[in-house]
Amino acid sequence: MFKKIRLQSRSKATFSLFLLAVPGLIYLLINNYLPMFGVFIAFKDIDYVKGLFGSDWSGFKNFEFLFRTNDAWIMTRNTILYNLAFIFIGTIVAIIIAIFLYELKNKLATKLFQSSILFPNLVSMVIVSYLVYAFLASDSGLINLSILRSLGIEEINWYAESKYWPYILTVTYLWKTAGYTSIVYFAFIAGIDKSYYEAAKIDGAGKLRQIFSVTLPLLKPAVILMVLLAVGRIFNSDFGLFYQVPLNSGALYSTTQTIDTYVYRALMQMNDIGMSAAAGFYQSVVGLVLVLIANKLVKRADPDNALF
Amino acid sequence: MKKVKLLTSILLVLALLTLSACGSDGNGESTNGEKVEKVVFAYLSFNNIPEDLTDIEEAINKVTREKINVEVDLKIYGPAEYEQRVNLAMQTGEKMDLFTTYGGFSSYVSRNQLYALNDLLEQYGQDTLNILEQDFGSDILNATTMNGNIYGIPVNKGFALPTTFVYDADVLAELGFNADDIDSLEDLPAIFEAVKKNKPGVVPFGPINVNPSDTYLMGWLIDTLKIDTLTDQSGVGVVIGDSGKVVNLYENEEFMNAAKMMRDWSEKGYLQKDAATTTIPTSEMIASGSAFSFMGGYSGMEAGAQLSAQMGKNIGTKRITEEYFDTSSVNSVVWMMSSTTKVPEAAMKFLNLAFTDKFVLNTLLYGIEGRDYVVVDEHHVKFPDGKSAMDVPFTAQLSTGLLGSESLQYQLEGMNREDVELKLRENKETARSPYFGFIFDQDEVKTEMSAINNVKNQYLPGLITGALDPETTIPKFVKALKDAGADRVIKAKQEQLDQWLAQQ
Repeated sequence: MFKKIRLQSRSKATFSLFLLAVPGLIYLLINNYLPMFGVFIAFKDIDYVKGLFGSDWSGFKNFEFLFRTNDAWIMTRNTILYNLAFIFIGTIVAIIIAIFLYELKNKLATKLFQSSILFPNLVSMVIVSYLVYAFLASDSGLINLSILRSLGIEEINWYAESKYWPYILTVTYLWKTAGYTSIVYFAFIAGIDKSYYEAAKIDGAGKLRQIFSVTLPLLKPAVILMVLLAVGRIFNSDFGLFYQVPLNSGALYSTTQTIDTYVYRALMQMNDIGMSAAAGFYQSVVGLVLVLIANKLVKRADPDNALF
Repeated sequence: MKKVKLLTSILLVLALLTLSACGSDGNGESTNGEKVEKVVFAYLSFNNIPEDLTDIEEAINKVTREKINVEVDLKIYGPAEYEQRVNLAMQTGEKMDLFTTYGGFSSYVSRNQLYALNDLLEQYGQDTLNILEQDFGSDILNATTMNGNIYGIPVNKGFALPTTFVYDADVLAELGFNADDIDSLEDLPAIFEAVKKNKPGVVPFGPINVNPSDTYLMGWLIDTLKIDTLTDQSGVGVVIGDSGKVVNLYENEEFMNAAKMMRDWSEKGYLQKDAATTTIPTSEMIASGSAFSFMGGYSGMEAGAQLSAQMGKNIGTKRITEEYFDTSSVNSVVWMMSSTTKVPEAAMKFLNLAFTDKFVLNTLLYGIEGRDYVVVDEHHVKFPDGKSAMDVPFTAQLSTGLLGSESLQYQLEGMNREDVELKLRENKETARSPYFGFIFDQDEVKTEMSAINNVKNQYLPGLITGALDPETTIPKFVKALKDAGADRVIKAKQEQLDQWLAQQ
């Protein structure tokens, strides 16, 4: 009897919260779950007279183009390595920025730095590509014209030399996104109970000691959460970064081709929805598997911090 | 990714529409007892597209109601979204009766998206057949016939686009040359050298299109070697001359020589160092006085005047090849009817008027007389006083090459009418490939084609702008094409071509 009343009151309390969540849930249902029925298109040979549902089944034929060429290896390797680098370096840089921001005691300065490092995140990739071009253009770019030339070093044709692009893309990526992710970590750090730091100070810990013994351990759940989310998208890439920023230069494909750009280039002229659906489905399945694996690994090492 | 997002929205709309789409086909009020049928007509405009098209529709409907008892529902999209909007409409079951394509004809056929027009043309399209015969020749519909079915009507215009050298005429005169000094590509280096020497800061030559960069070297090769691309712009699997043998163009020695010539030009500084990746088309550089010339395919002799107006410079043009017609020269812009249309007869009747009725065609292009344009003489119009293409309520004047029959269209004041006659004459006189009318069905090798497109994007822009060394790059390019399935594509093409030849 007593238990029942408690249950009722609890469901009453959660009911109003549930109501608040309803719009979000409906959005999720329509936007994320309803389209999932569309995966069947990946296995269809679309014929407009027969319609989507009436078209013939084609097995895995729509997936073939993803694996057909030598490019399959290159684009998969690029996608994964870039994402791993982005996750790893991106997380470290973001945490460093967050700690710096937190240690700034001047309110005005904090706001100023926060806004200015957040700004690149708001800039469209198309514009970023022109900013990069302003640096790298072979005849008029800042690096060739003002730096290399005045140092007497031979100029580099940046858009024809693929070996530089892993660094260029990583730097561009960090410039654009590190500010944004650092805000998330900044919020976590701001949420850490001040008494930990006071206790550490009393024990005689300096700034660095405090960071390594208090801030970082307490930040761990946040880092794990963010990394797990990123791992799920490891087979996706920022299309703008890999397509716009290298100016779609063919000579750079060996280091700039990712699954997304390959699919776009291969299917742009073909308008084949079966093959597009196959590519999207493939990325999602691999992403799901990787999240499950990563979560399992986290669970084994540290059961409290696993996502599920 | 854009495609995947697009797909998501398609599915969503689909889910909502399948329930409600049935039953509504918009057949409305009746005049003179019969039902007026409604046809959706989608075309493409490079001008500003107004939100509200009812006044244009009404002007056209007044005529079409009376003539053919049909009303039209116009959809006008910009070039960037046209193909996607049409495909989206067809995928979601929205009404879309008549539409066009730029170069996508055969894939519409292989996806079974098109209505066969044979009987409809016979019954309701006699006027169209007549004007096509008159302006091009009766063989024009071969270019849109697959397996005996006529799946579309090519836009009826001047199709000959010989390779044309486009240059800043003032600079040429200043250097002491004139147009007669230019007859072929071999004549150009001497001029480029003079530009380089006397005009520092002016790039002698550049790509006509960027991203990907295209110097029109392939167009030039196609004209000079008389190459039939077999309706596939990949260049993998072409027939040179009348040999009947499908080969890979990139393995051909002439391609190597052409690429070497570009490499030579590039090394001598006739092209910008980053011509392969530049984002600025050469026309813009000419406009700002920092480049001298490019190559492209242009019809008629009036291209120079148009280009001069666009770039604000005195632009000269000189043809350096003769045109060679293969199927894709004619079937790149094709008018088609959806296979799911509910009103095929009405749609055919309207399409017939769009090709043959001067009023309907010019209203689609220029809008309403008096408000959007004023008539100058029988063949010419201009914008009302004080107005331009930018500020009239409606104009689709830049779509003249995509709609109806060029011979019935008004021209803007100042254009030479004789040019249209020249174009029509060239339509009849230009040599046709022996495989004119053959259309390659890509469906069985679409996996290979998608991979080949990628390889081509990777290597070709660098080769035709001289950025890459052909001696070392072409073998790599050919090998990558082979890995992508070039041999299978060539084999499939040869089989289809042999079959087609046997039927002729």
